[in-house]
Amino acid sequence: MNRYDLIIVGAGPSGLSAAIEAAKRGMKVVVFDENEKPGGQLFKQIHKFFGSKEHRAKVRGFVIGQQLLDEADEVGVEVVLNATVIGLYQDKEVVVKIGDEVIHYKGDSIIIATGAAENMVTFPGWTLPGVIGAGAAQTMMNLHGVKPGQRVLMLGSGNVGLVVSFQLMQCGCEVVALVDAAPRVGGYGVHAAKVARTGVPFYLSHTIVKAEGDNKVTGVTIAQVDSSFKFIPGTEKHFEVDTICLAVGLSPMSQLLKMAGCEMEDNPKRGGQVPICDEYGRTSIAGIFVAGDVSGIEEASSAMIEGRMAGVVAAEYLGYVRAEEMEAELSVLDNALDGLRQGMFAPKNRGKEIAKTEEGIDISKNLLLHGFVGDDEIERFPGVTHKVGVHPVMECTQNIPCNPCQDACKKGCISIGANITSLPIVVDNSQCINCGMCVASCSGQAIFLVDEDCGDGTATVTLPYEFLPLPEVGAKGKGLGRNGQIVCDAQVVSVKSAKAFDKTNLLTIRVPKEYAMKARFFKAV
Amino acid sequence: MNSINDRSRDIGEFKSMPDDDMLICRCEEITKGEIRKAVHDGMWTLTEIRRYLRTGMGLCQGQTCSKLVKGIVARELGISPAELEPATSRVPMRPIEMKVFANEAEKLKEAN
Repeated sequence: MNRYDLIIVGAGPSGLSAAIEAAKRGMKVVVFDENEKPGGQLFKQIHKFFGSKEHRAKVRGFVIGQQLLDEADEVGVEVVLNATVIGLYQDKEVVVKIGDEVIHYKGDSIIIATGAAENMVTFPGWTLPGVIGAGAAQTMMNLHGVKPGQRVLMLGSGNVGLVVSFQLMQCGCEVVALVDAAPRVGGYGVHAAKVARTGVPFYLSHTIVKAEGDNKVTGVTIAQVDSSFKFIPGTEKHFEVDTICLAVGLSPMSQLLKMAGCEMEDNPKRGGQVPICDEYGRTSIAGIFVAGDVSGIEEASSAMIEGRMAGVVAAEYLGYVRAEEMEAELSVLDNALDGLRQGMFAPKNRGKEIAKTEEGIDISKNLLLHGFVGDDEIERFPGVTHKVGVHPVMECTQNIPCNPCQDACKKGCISIGANITSLPIVVDNSQCINCGMCVASCSGQAIFLVDEDCGDGTATVTLPYEFLPLPEVGAKGKGLGRNGQIVCDAQVVSVKSAKAFDKTNLLTIRVPKEYAMKARFFKAV
Repeated sequence: MNSINDRSRDIGEFKSMPDDDMLICRCEEITKGEIRKAVHDGMWTLTEIRRYLRTGMGLCQGQTCSKLVKGIVARELGISPAELEPATSRVPMRPIEMKVFANEAEKLKEAN
């Protein structure tokens, strides 16, 4: 029997974070993962993360994955890939299939960080090839370099649905519609807005009637639903697509814990069957801990903190740290986690309809119903101001825990303040030097640099651009509004791609000056 | 007594529905109608449904259909899905070829 101080199942954000904390304190740690690559979902996340510096905000997910792997390596964590844990017994015996062998391990402590699996919904034709999970689409695109299809309909407007829709477009697919049975967009408004402004229509209170096709998906019909989710006859809409992507939530993969004999509960707020555990991941069995989505669906940034907590708690359990030291460490991590669990999308606000921001401003109705802030709504937000010359316009309209923009501006033009969920404001009498760092640093791609009047009847708008091919200077096209509709002619006057922008290109377009506050995307024609 | 286990409770007659032929467990090719019928045949727990129909016992080990089956059974019984205990979790958690287990026996034999 192979013995370890700590056996971790799952090399995703929480498992690796736990491993690092435990190994740093002298524990002999092994992490098993059934996939051929470590990192869990992190290596599929090509967008910049939200949060603050301590949460690795504005760093892209796959980079965070690599950072974690490097750290794990430095502190001597053993990561075993293609290693499927097939059983966990109450006396902490872990049975792992590696290659053609079943190998038995014994851990003095165990952390289960197996994450979650995608939910499915059924409709006629849901088993046709071409109906895939959003996670599958991400795996195909971002791990294997395979384009999932040409024309895609996305079901689900949570952050997964929104982020994957954007990635599908980056990969060259056409997203024909974003559909959700819920009456409001579920994910971050900024994620929705960056999809909507490219021209993707949102259909809220709609769901799939059927997928069409004999051997594969050739089309899809959606229809509006009433408040009890029944189809409203006569509201059907048809799209020709070859791919239907489902982003309808996640369920914790907690079977190993149930098998080990941990007390479980069915908790819809946490996404399904979860172990009963305390805030640091201690289950009902001493020495078995949990971290990340397996104990309740959240996201990668909080999973990393939960992982660190579980790692510290496991170290204390085996006497590698003293209780006082653990308490001190946990209180720091508590604060970090608390920082992430703030704002409109905090777990405590799940399912609540929030009408006003913390500042008392009415939330944009269009954003919740159609995915973009209306031209008549945008002016009421504090990041949107008017000035002579180039200045930042921050279309950040919901309270989310994120603040890289205020550090990005070296001239101090942008302030969020001590409360990380506050909407950014433009600092009075500050001087924008048009460096573009704020545009590139905004994980929500919600900051624009606008010169509302260049003196010749035109205005310039600098926008974040993460698509290929990159338009060339001089290219003529159309300016699209926040709703993705063509509003005016536009010409590219500058394309900047600096290392400091981390692959967010800055596209500056010239538009007639009356469209300075309307044009938010460029489409070459 | 827990209402789920009160087998004398009347859940009404099985009535066929237009979507009864929809596949729910893809691996074992089991339809919504078969699952609903099984409830009326007396299978009131997920473990019973699994033994009766083999839902969730195929290649994906219920990763896709567990939640769907749970929803269908709960609706048929007129209870919340949260009241239904999930089917037993047991080794192996993932499908595994018998030869892999056999390899272990071979190794033990060699070691002895």
